[in-house]
Amino acid sequence: MTATVAIRAEAVSRRFGDEVAVDRVDLDVRAGEIQALVGLNGAGKTTLMRMLLGMLHPDTGRVVLNVGGREVPLVGLAPRDWRQVGHLIETPLAYGELTVVETVRTAARLHGLNTASARSAADAVVADLALAHWADRRNHTLSLGNRQRVGLACAVVHEPTVLVLDEPTNGLDPAGVIVVRERLLRSARSGAAVLVSSHHLDEVARIADRITVVHRGRVVGTLPPGGFDLERAFFAMVYEAESAGQGPA
Amino acid sequence: MSSPALAMESLKLRKAAVQRGATGVIVFGVPAMSAGFLAVARSDADGPLAAKVAPMLIGVGWTAMFGFVAQALSVGMLLAAGVVVSWSFGREFTDGTFGALFALPTSRRSIATAKFTILGIWGALTCMATLLVTMLLGTLIGLGLPTTSDIGAAGRALAVGLLTVALAIPVAFVASALRGYLPGIAGLLGIVVLTQVLSVSGAGAWFPYAAPGMWSGMGGQELAGTVTWAQLLLAIPVGLAGALATLRWWGTAEVV
Repeated sequence: MTATVAIRAEAVSRRFGDEVAVDRVDLDVRAGEIQALVGLNGAGKTTLMRMLLGMLHPDTGRVVLNVGGREVPLVGLAPRDWRQVGHLIETPLAYGELTVVETVRTAARLHGLNTASARSAADAVVADLALAHWADRRNHTLSLGNRQRVGLACAVVHEPTVLVLDEPTNGLDPAGVIVVRERLLRSARSGAAVLVSSHHLDEVARIADRITVVHRGRVVGTLPPGGFDLERAFFAMVYEAESAGQGPA
Repeated sequence: MSSPALAMESLKLRKAAVQRGATGVIVFGVPAMSAGFLAVARSDADGPLAAKVAPMLIGVGWTAMFGFVAQALSVGMLLAAGVVVSWSFGREFTDGTFGALFALPTSRRSIATAKFTILGIWGALTCMATLLVTMLLGTLIGLGLPTTSDIGAAGRALAVGLLTVALAIPVAFVASALRGYLPGIAGLLGIVVLTQVLSVSGAGAWFPYAAPGMWSGMGGQELAGTVTWAQLLLAIPVGLAGALATLRWWGTAEVV
């Protein structure tokens, strides 16, 4: 049986001036799967993710979110329906003056948890993402990698069923990458739909159930999960798309 | 209004260095300066310093002390509140956290409303604390205890402070629409310069940013008496318009 589609982009396009950032992209992310979005810098991954999260409005097409079995377009979404979504797009919700634990509790509250639940959920995720040592440190004193982990903690603290992460391993050391990878696997095993982007086939992309390749704003193909020599297959696909002139319309 | 947004904005403002600095300057700096001026005026009546202070002096004793405070607040509180408002809204863009406020059950409009609420509370508390410190310093320089007849002067200083807080609100729109606290501060400086130019050119108290200063006695006691309540209360629609424009912007703006 095919898993439920948790979030879907239907022929979404977005242009910035003369530049077509995303061009008629269809994408769905299913419950219980990790889907990796890979592409070179400027391929349109972040723009696509921003449209999925309502940060940008598509020029054409639409995004729908599965809310309790109903597919609801983002434009008609009630604020409370965002409770099921977690995200980390570029800058984390890590205000410099707040400590790590204050930040994660704040994110939990903003995602709809009450004060008591936010406190226990934040403590748990801080421990889970190996941030306990820095729990009382202010964000502005953290390394890039630890700030990234704080951002991930903010994204997952409320146990979302849809998780959208843009290059979540940026700045992380190998131990941090493993922590993130394990956390994403656990989210997917518990039924969450996970979409992660990367400009290269890193450790997180390698655990994906589906790998979608984006180039010049379009989906140009998929790569076999767990396949050998993924880099070669990825670059061959990008080169082929480039040669076929799959640039902006 | 969602309480998570209020809790977040309250926490951020309480821990912010910019708020602490601005509060310290107003709460301690303004009364200290006023007490210093008044002490000079009282102890050196015929000296050069007293001659410089004299034009700013309205009345004697506590009336003069609160008058100094009102004049200082008309400029100082506008700058302090403007900087804090600009930081509160503009930092979301400068720090890149605006995008993290999307896709939440807490709407961005309610976050912006929470910012205004917390900033309003901060502004009111700062003005009240300034008056308390003023009373303490006034007593220390020998003014005795304030009497009921001094309440009017204290009330005027408080009203001037609160009006300037309202007048700082439109800075939030500039900081939001231009995506950063520095553009907001540039807008604030523009307001101060424009106020000076219009005051000199005679536009007078109908320019909302000039009215509290004139009423506080910055142009002398005679000019202060010409300022009407209608002119002073123009600060409210100005603040309201700034708040509504900012809320609308926060509800519709994209991440770029």
